[in-house]
This record gives sequence, structure tokens and C-alpha cells, in this order.
Amino acid sequence: MEQPKQVQVPAGHDKLRALGILALNGMFDEMDAVGVLRQAAADVLPGDLAVVSSFGADSAVLLHLVAQVDPSLPVYFLETGKHFQETLDYVETLKQHLGLLNVHAIHPNQADLARFDPAGTLWETDPDSCCHIRKTEPLEPITELYGGWVTGRKRFQTRERGVLPHFELTSDDRIKVNPLAYFHDSDVNQYKIDHGLPEHPLFAKGYKSIGCAPCTSVVAEGEDPRAGRWRGLDKKECGIHFDFNGAIASPMMAAKRHTLWKDGTFIADPFHDWTDESEPATARYQHVPLPVFLAHREAFLANPHPLGLLVAPGESVEDVADDLERFSSIAIKFPGFADGRGYSTARLVSQRYQYANEIRAVGDVLQDQIPLMRRCGFNALVVTHEPTRAALIENRLPEVAIFYQPVGTAEVPIGTRPFLRRAS
Amino acid sequence: MYRYDEFDAAFVAGRGAQFADQVNRRLSGELSEDQFRPLRLMNGLYLQLHAYMLRIAVPYGTLSSRQLRKLAHIARTYDRGYGHFTTRQNIQFNWPKLKDVPAILAELASVEMHSIQTSGNCIRNTTTDQFAGAAADEIIDPRPVAEIIRQWSSLHPEFTYLPRKFKIAMTGSPNDRAAIRFHDIGLQAAVNAAGETGWEVWVGGGLGRTPMIGKLINSFVPNEHLLAYLESIMRVYNRYGRRDNKYKARIKILVHEEGLETIKGQVEAEFAEIRGGILTLPSEEVDRITTYFAPPAFTDQAGSKVDVAYQSIIDPAYGRWLDNNLNAHREPGYASVTISLKPVGGAPGDATDVQMDVVADLAERYSFDELRVTHEQNLVLPHVAVADLRTVYDALVAAGLADGNAGMITDIICCPGLDFCALANARSIPIAQEITHKFAAPERQAEIGDLKIKISGCINACGHHHVGHIGILGVEKKGGELYQITLGGDASEQASVGKIIGPGFEADAVPDAIEKLVDTYIAKRHSVDETFIQAYRRLGEAPFKEALYGTA
Ligand code: SF4
Ligand code: SF4
Repeated sequence: MEQPKQVQVPAGHDKLRALGILALNGMFDEMDAVGVLRQAAADVLPGDLAVVSSFGADSAVLLHLVAQVDPSLPVYFLETGKHFQETLDYVETLKQHLGLLNVHAIHPNQADLARFDPAGTLWETDPDSCCHIRKTEPLEPITELYGGWVTGRKRFQTRERGVLPHFELTSDDRIKVNPLAYFHDSDVNQYKIDHGLPEHPLFAKGYKSIGCAPCTSVVAEGEDPRAGRWRGLDKKECGIHFDFNGAIASPMMAAKRHTLWKDGTFIADPFHDWTDESEPATARYQHVPLPVFLAHREAFLANPHPLGLLVAPGESVEDVADDLERFSSIAIKFPGFADGRGYSTARLVSQRYQYANEIRAVGDVLQDQIPLMRRCGFNALVVTHEPTRAALIENRLPEVAIFYQPVGTAEVPIGTRPFLRRAS
Repeated sequence: MYRYDEFDAAFVAGRGAQFADQVNRRLSGELSEDQFRPLRLMNGLYLQLHAYMLRIAVPYGTLSSRQLRKLAHIARTYDRGYGHFTTRQNIQFNWPKLKDVPAILAELASVEMHSIQTSGNCIRNTTTDQFAGAAADEIIDPRPVAEIIRQWSSLHPEFTYLPRKFKIAMTGSPNDRAAIRFHDIGLQAAVNAAGETGWEVWVGGGLGRTPMIGKLINSFVPNEHLLAYLESIMRVYNRYGRRDNKYKARIKILVHEEGLETIKGQVEAEFAEIRGGILTLPSEEVDRITTYFAPPAFTDQAGSKVDVAYQSIIDPAYGRWLDNNLNAHREPGYASVTISLKPVGGAPGDATDVQMDVVADLAERYSFDELRVTHEQNLVLPHVAVADLRTVYDALVAAGLADGNAGMITDIICCPGLDFCALANARSIPIAQEITHKFAAPERQAEIGDLKIKISGCINACGHHHVGHIGILGVEKKGGELYQITLGGDASEQASVGKIIGPGFEADAVPDAIEKLVDTYIAKRHSVDETFIQAYRRLGEAPFKEALYGTA
């Protein structure tokens, strides 16, 4: 699809750096939404501003503002490939109704999809990565093209957004304009009524915040409208609300720090701890302690949701050998770094039982043990120890990279010595 | 002798760099002592009473002259001019500075040595017969397999955080000089009915506060499956060994509490899973490693003999040395020479930098560049031509290393004790020194014959007191030091644990007590051919008890 503007605009609106942003917020704080947008489009970023919209339940309000200020303002829609058909229909409806002239769909890279999400189920095991390839990655080249972006984010939507200002400066010197920052739920509804805006077809069915189909569920009466997104996951934000470097756009927006290290980076952890309230039949994205699993094996096997297994030292993984494939993650506990039982467990799981999904180390996970863990089959780590986090990020693990003994079938070079040396 | 290839060299260098980084993080405070402890222990660095102590591995007790010279250099440069040879065939330095440790490790790496896994809860240096490859009574030279075990166990990722330390000893001859029944795993060379060589595997032996004799878990594991079998034992131990109590964490306790049959069942089940897999040793591989240990180019010395009886008359000291410090060699005209590190009044196992240099020169010139460290804390020149014995002896005399007391009452095994060790209850070196003074007269020693005294400064039994014919254990009693005496221990193939004979003695009463025991033995023995241990087994403890404590 043809993009409206192909000239690279150098980022860096110096006059708008930190202090400037504060000044702008001061100027517009009392202003109505359409005033904020008009000022941004005409004075602050003329010809250098675009909109990204999800065409969700509330999107009509922002797009209505756009239509009033400038119907030719570029509007981008992330066609993740995972939307409800109703959403795709709604894109057309709004385009027609509002007379928007410049709506563009952005598609994920086909090669990335084929590589990382061939079955289209990545959202289930690793929603962060799914959002990354379906949203963040495709959007990135487009963001390069503009000095500023209009978003529909609102303060009330999630706790983390409580202090959202009208203008934000991203870390790569772009400006985010949030005309609806001060809108409340009721303001949105009132605006829709006042302007006779068409409703998203799913809104009436109880969907209050609509994203991709698999990650959106119905919100109960009185519940936070966004509670239906990534339900059951410790995930509140989608990649696109982060700034274009992946960091958080507003320094005031507190985000939970990721502790799961996987594939060379810290990512959000879809799993959370098993609690007393957790139910074998309905639990999802929890690591079930091995004894609990054995006590309710039938219920867990009937449970359709993604689940993990937690194996503590002294527990016998042989007891669940036949059920390992049921789990999308196996967490092996290290109550203290000097308790080496988890290494044997990991080798059994990965080598004897050929378990190929995530094997994560949890507990006292420190940098000096990580190389050993990896060799025993761990492919994910939950790390809270600060120096260890730094060492992982800076890729300086104290490792002896050559090995005398084979511990995994992947390590075997044919024709070398029996105790099989290998240099990595 | 085994020579590092590029891989070994890179491995040791990598490990050195890793530890240097850890030392720096400790010095900068990034690592707490708690976090640093297991890391430094993995590299043989202990925190002792006065300073750090660095323990260096001498794999299966084998050294070249170049390596011993390097140890002398380290003693001179980074320590106080001496090193201490241990009962694990290692050497330790008692005074290195933490900041110098990376430099010391780099020096060691330059002569293919390291300190990896000389402490910590991992698989330690495999020990073996000090006369391996030289002894006349040997079935197989155990060193090639010891080297293979060294490689397999080096930084094994699964077995680096075991419940407790783990020691393997092996012997290739029926006369066990490596105390294999007192190790976590003991391997004794065996030949099966089909004439294949393999290993008898003993498990769960050990000293310490609960001495136990190893139990036979498998009477024949073929060479090619040895690593798989060892890995099976290790996995069972790693998973099921107790971790709730450090004093009950050794495999001997697991075997004792669960019973040999249970452990054997678990090990065999595990072995059934991994046998024939990736750990199988092809015989070409064993052969290839074995070539490193090929016998040196012996020359025809069959004609040369030494007349010990004659020498004893014209030079009694030399005669004694010939009598006691030679071991029969499988090659005619050669002998293995034990260099005693047990001078009267000295600290057992200590050698100065100058002495190490002298021994290195002798090894280079007269023993095909080979040296051994014994678990009895002596050094050995394994292959000396009989014709060279006098020259070697004279050089040893000049260096103060010519004591002809190997295997005698003054050849005492002794741990560092309260003079160095943070765990000690009592001094042990001064006790050894006093005893050697008491029995200094060579004639007296000859009269007593074969008698092994072993001294530990606490119940951890680093001085192997449980297996001394006479054992001495330092205990703490009401703030003072007291010494318990045990009798009847034996580390050989007739393994037994010594029994406490009665109430302990004050330090200054110990030499007299030993003398009474010795006198009792001499009075009651059948003949001079009946050794102390034989006499004790025949007589029981009663006469000895009576000698010490009077009639009840
Ligand atoms: S919202 Fe869900 S489906 Fe859509 S990109 Fe993110 S994880 Fe994937
Ligand atoms: S036996 Fe005790 S005193 Fe002696 S070295 Fe061992 S721990 Fe220290």
C-alpha cells in the first residue's frame, strides 16, 4: 500500500524538549480535545503528525476529532491479522461516516510470521512476542516518518495511565499527542451520543475495550473496561503504547519490571504464581506445583488453558513424565543457589523426556550458575538479583565456554573424544 | 604423563579468567562473602584461620619437574617459602593474598595445572596409587582412566552443587595403596571371566565424624561403561543425598540410611537408562589417552643390583633408606623411591621452595621427569635406576630429605590442625613433632617396623586418624585440648576403622602413651615379622588398654 509520505523527517524538535513539553502541557491543560489536536496539527507539528488507531470501541471519538481538524491527516491501523471481522468492518464504516481520506493498514512482516508464529498461536504462549511482531515491528518504520503521533489514550483506562498528559516527549524526540487524556468513560459515551457516532458492532455484546480477537474478552458490568484485554495475564499494555524504542513513553508511567529472561532479553511473563484460590479446572498461565497437579490430575488434564508445572527439589519428575507435554512451561525451583537438585531435574526433563517447551529456573538464580543451568537444559530464567540482571543484559556471564563432558545430545560432536569436548 | 592439548589449555585459561573476574567482583564488593564462598571453594580457595589457603590439584598425584619447579616458584614468590602436600595428593599454600590468586592461577596454567574443584561440594581430584605405572604388583595402570574421570568431572554442570564434597579414589593393583574403601567411590581394577578389564565399584566409604567402610555396589563395570555408571551414582546422590544437615550429607550416610540395596536399585535403574549412550568410552579413546602414560624408555639395567645388607653395615642411614623407601618396580633394575617429608621434628608434608627445586632436578635427571605425591604426604620418584640410587640419596641428604622412615612410626600423616585450620579443636602438627622426637632413633624405628600413626585436629579427620594403626584425634574438652587414641584402623584392602581405646590424654602425655602402646606390642608380638596391626588383630585391645590405663 502506498504510504502518504516517504521523506524521512529528522527527529528532534529541540524547542520541544523536556521543558517545552511541560510548557505545552501548561498551555493546553484546560483546553478541549479538539483544541489540543488542532494546535498540534497546525502549529506544533504541521505536516508532521499522524494518528494510530485501533478502530476499537472508543476509537470513533478520536477519529471524529481528526475529521474535524483535518480529514487528510494520516491514520494508521494495525492490521495484526488477529482482529475480529467486526473490527475490519468497522474500519470501513468509520472511514465512510467520518470522511477520513488517509487511512492506511499496516501489516506484519510475512516472513516474521512464518518464522515465529507459523501456527498463529503465539498469542497464547508468548503474547509479548506476538504483539512485538504484529504491532511494534510493523509500526516502527512508519514512526520514523513522523515527528509526532496522536493517540487515543486516556488517563482513566488503567492505573498506569493515571497521570497521562496531553503532550509527551518520547525518548527518540518524538511527540505524542493525547487529546483524550482527560476524557472519562462517561465523557466518551456522551461524546459518542452527542455526535451520533456509529458504535463498534461488538460494543453492544459487552466488549468494552477491543483489540485482537484472541486477546479480548467480555468485560463484566462495573469492571475496568480494559480488564477484558489479556485477561488472566500480567499484561496491561500493548507494545504500541510504549514509545518507539520500546521504553515507556512517559517517565511517570510506572510499568512493572520484567523478570523473565528468555531468548536474550527480559520479557513480560505471562505466568503468575499458583495461589490457594487457584482452581485446577479453570486456572491458566500458572505454574502448578507438582503435588497439586498429581492430586487433581484429571481436572488439570481437562483444563483447556495454557498451564505450567512447578517442580521443587525433592519432587520426582518421573511421576509426571507422561503428562509433561500438557504443559507449556516447566519451572524448576532453586530455593538456594547451592541446592543443585534442579540441575538433575532439568536434565531429566530436557534430555530423558525430550521436553521441548520452556524450562525455566526460578528462585535463587545468580549469574555464576547460569552457564551450568543452560547446559542442563534451561532456556528461561526468572531473575531478580540486580547484578545478575545487569550481567545478562550486558552479556558478560562468567562462563567457561568449553566443555569436557556431554550433558545434552545437542552437544555431541561426532568423532571427538568420548567424554566429548565441545567449544561453544 | 598426560599433556594438555589445546582444548585443555583453553579450558584452564577460561576458568582462570572466570575466577579472576569473580575475585575482582569480590574485591569491589559486588559479591558478598556468602556468594563468593562457593565460587572460591570451587577454585580451591579457602579462608583459614590467618589467611586464605589455596589448594592446587595434582591430578592423581602426578607431577613433572617443570610443574614442581613452578610450585617452588609460587612458594617463594607468593607464599612464605614452603608448600604443604596433603593427604589428597594435592599441595596447598597457606599464605596467598586474595589479590594475587589470579596471578598464581595464571602461573599454574602455564605449566598445565589448576586448582579447579579442589574444594566445594563437587567431584574432587581423583586420587590413585602413588606407584601407578611403576609398581610390580599392578594389574592395570589406573592413570588413563583417572585422567578420563578428571575430564568428565571438570565443571560438570549437573554435579557442581552436590549435597557435599565427593571423592573418588582408584587403584590398579590388588594391594590398595589409595585407601579406596574410604572414599565416596572407590574403584579397584578387576578382570572378568572373559578376560576384559573393568572396575569393582565401592561406594559410601569415608572418614570424618562418621567413618564408614565402602560397600561393594558392583563387582564388575566394564571400562567402556564406567563413566555412565559413575554418572548414575552421581545423579542418585545429587537428587537424594541429604541436604538438611551438612554432617549427614555425604553419600556414605545416604547409603547407610537407605541401605545398599535401595541405592543399588536406583543406581542400576539410572544406569539402565544411560548405559550405552553418549558416555560410552570407545576403546580407541582409552588407548589414545593411555599412550600419554606409556612407560618411559627404560634401559637395560637388569645387571645392576644394590646389596642392602652390605650398605647397611658400611652406611646404616643409607641402608635404612634403601630398606624402607624403595618400592619394587615392574622393570628389572629400577625402583620407586619415596622421598620422606617427615623429618624428625618437622611438619608432616611440608616442603620448602629449595627442597622442591632439588626434587624437581632429581626427577628430571633420574626419574624420566616424573614425580608423584602420595596420600601419605610424601613424594615419590617413580622410576629410578638402581645404579643411580646412591647419587639420588646423596642429593637428598644435602637437601635434608633423606629420612629413611617411609612406612615407619615417624612417617606420620597429620592434618594442619589448630595452627592453620579454622575448624580445628586442637593442634596436630606439634603432636606429630613430639612423637617423632620420641622415636627419633633409627634403631628404635627399625625394631618397631611397619606402624602407621595418623593425626587429625578435629573430627573432620583430614589426618585419616580412623585408619591409622594408631590414630590420634584432637578434641576439645573444657576449653583445653585433649587427644583421643584409636587402635586398629587400616586403610588397605583389609580396611577397618580404628576403635577408641579409652579416655583422652593431654597433649604432653600423648608421646608417652604411644610409647606404652609400642612397648606392649613389642613385648607381645610373636616375632619381628608380626606387625603392629597383625598383633593388634590377634590380641585385641585388652593388653593395650591395660598398658594405658592399668587393670580395671
Ligand atoms: S493483542 Fe494478542 S493477538 Fe494481537 S498482537 Fe497482541 S498478542 Fe497478538
Ligand atoms: S581434621 Fe579438622 S583440624 Fe585437621 S585439617 Fe581437617 S578440619 Fe582442620
